[in-house]
Amino acid sequence: MTDADRVTTDERTGGMSMADERATAGPRVGEGAEDRHRDQTGERDHITPSIELKTDFASTHTEDEATAGAAIVLDVRDVAVYYGDFRAVAGVNLPIRMNEVTGMIGPSGCGKSTMLRAFNRMNDLILGARVEGLISYHGIDLYGPDVDPVEVRRRIGMVFQKPNPFPKSIYDNVAYGPRIAGQRKGLEEVVERSLRSAALWDEVKDRLKDSALSLSGGQQQRLCIARAIAIEPDVVLMDEPCSALDPIATNAIEELIRQLREDYTIVIVTHNMQQAARISDRTAFFTTNVSGGKRTGELVEFDYTDKLFTNPGDKRTEDYLTGRFG
Amino acid sequence: MEPHAMTDSRSDFHEELERLKSDMVRMAAAVTEGVARVTEALLRQDVAEADQIVAADDELDLLALETEERMIEVIALQAPVASDLRKVLVDLRMVMEVERSGDLVTNIAKAIPRLQGAELSPQLRGLIDQMREEAVKLFRKAIDAYVEGDAGLAATVDEFDDRLDALHVEYLDALFASFGTSQMTPQQGFQLAVIGRFYERIGDHAVNISERVQYMVTGSLPAHAGAERARARRIAEEQARS
Repeated sequence: MTDADRVTTDERTGGMSMADERATAGPRVGEGAEDRHRDQTGERDHITPSIELKTDFASTHTEDEATAGAAIVLDVRDVAVYYGDFRAVAGVNLPIRMNEVTGMIGPSGCGKSTMLRAFNRMNDLILGARVEGLISYHGIDLYGPDVDPVEVRRRIGMVFQKPNPFPKSIYDNVAYGPRIAGQRKGLEEVVERSLRSAALWDEVKDRLKDSALSLSGGQQQRLCIARAIAIEPDVVLMDEPCSALDPIATNAIEELIRQLREDYTIVIVTHNMQQAARISDRTAFFTTNVSGGKRTGELVEFDYTDKLFTNPGDKRTEDYLTGRFG
Repeated sequence: MEPHAMTDSRSDFHEELERLKSDMVRMAAAVTEGVARVTEALLRQDVAEADQIVAADDELDLLALETEERMIEVIALQAPVASDLRKVLVDLRMVMEVERSGDLVTNIAKAIPRLQGAELSPQLRGLIDQMREEAVKLFRKAIDAYVEGDAGLAATVDEFDDRLDALHVEYLDALFASFGTSQMTPQQGFQLAVIGRFYERIGDHAVNISERVQYMVTGSLPAHAGAERARARRIAEEQARS
C-alpha cells in the first residue's frame, strides 16, 4: 500500500478508511467481536451486523397527522450538537422514517449538515464535537458506550457533495467496504448488485477494471452511492449530493434516490429547495436563531413535503420558501 | 428574537404578483360598473347603451387573456411555492370567474333589444334594481376580501348570496304574476326570466371568488357538500368490503 492509497480521513471516504483494514484485521474485544460471524472455513461470505437490533420498535411519538406513518429508524430527541463551546444546533426533535426520503433544507449555518453528520457519528472525528440529547437508531442509543462507531457508519452510510471515489478501479471501489468487513467470497455479485442499484452497471460493466477517476462527475457520484450501499446499509445520508453536478446528472441521481427509497431510508441535505420538493417525502426546515449574540441552528418545521410547500405552518418557513430573509 | 427588517430576495417576482393583483381589481371593477350600467340600460330600454356594453366586454376578454398569460409565465419561470403559489393559483381562478361575470353582463345587454316594447311593472323594476344592488355588493365584498387577504370577510359572501338567491325567486314570482296583466310577448317573458338568472349567476361567481380567497389565506380548499357526500360513500364502501 503506497502513501497515496492511505486515505485516513473518514470524512473524505464516507466513513470508511483504509486504516480500518488494519483495525479489523485481528479479533477485537468487547465490541461485538466479528470473529463470531466467520463460517467454518474462517472466510466471511456475508456481513452480519454486530449490533442487535430491536425489530419491534414502537413509536413513542404522539401520532398526530404530521408524525403518523412508517416505523421510525432514527429518532432525534431534544438533540444539540456542540463544537467545543459553540452550539451549532439545538432543540432538535425529528423522527426519520423507514423507506422515506427526509429532506433537510435551510440557509447556510443552520445546522442541517451538522445534524446529518450526527446521524452516523461523523462528528466524532472533529475535536471537541459532542452531542447532547438522544439519537436512537432502531431503539438503540447511537452514542451509547457499547456502540462501535465504525459499525454505525456501515449501517448508516454517507454520500458527499463532491464525489470522492478512491484512486482505484471501479470494481475495487465497490468491493472495498465488503472486503474490509472481512468478506472474501461473492464479491462479484455484491459489486454487480450495488452498481445495478446505483443505476451505473450498464455504463461500466465492460470496464470494471478501469480507474474510477475516469468516470464523469455524475457517474462518480453514482459510484459513491454504489460503494455506500455495497455494505448493505440501512440508511443512506446524502450531503448535497448533486451540488457539484450538471442538471442531467442531477436528474439521474434524483431518479435513483426515488428508487433507492424502496430498500433504504434516505436523509438528504440540500440547498436546492426545488430538489427537496421533488424528491423528499417529508421535509425539515432549519434556520439560524440569533439571540444573545450567538447563532444556533434550530429545527423550525417538519412536515409532509407537499404541505410544507403549499401551506407551511410557521412564518419563518413561509418567509424562507418565498425568498424573504431576515 | 429582536425584530429586523425583512429583505425580499425575490422582489421582482413579488412586484409582478402585486401588479397582477392590481389588474385583477381593475377587471373586477369593470364588472361591477358593467352590472350597474347594464341595469340602467335595461330599465331605460336603451339599445345604444346596450351595444356599447357588449363592445366593452371585448376589452375585458383581452385583459383577462393577457393577465392569464402573465400568470402562466410566473408559474413557469418563478416556481412559486407556499403563499406565493396559492396567490397565483387563486388569481388564475379569479380571472376565469371575473371574465365569466363580464360575459353575464353582456348577456343581459344583448337581451335589451329583444325587450323593446315590453312593459315592466314597478315591482319588477324594483326587484331588478335590488338584484343589481346585491350582485354589486357581493362582488365588491369578494374583491375587498381578496385585496385585504381577509378570510373572515370572504366567508360572509356566501351568506349574502342567499339574499340574492331569495330576490331572484321573488323576481320570478313577480314576473309570472305579471304575465296576465303586463304587456309582453311570451318570448320577452322568457327573456326576462333568464335575465334574473344572469344576476343570480354573477352572485355565484362572487361566492366562488370568496371561496378561493379563503384558500389563498388559509391554505384549505373549500368544503364541497357534494364531494363530502361522495367521500363518505367511498369510506362506507371500503369499510363494507373489508
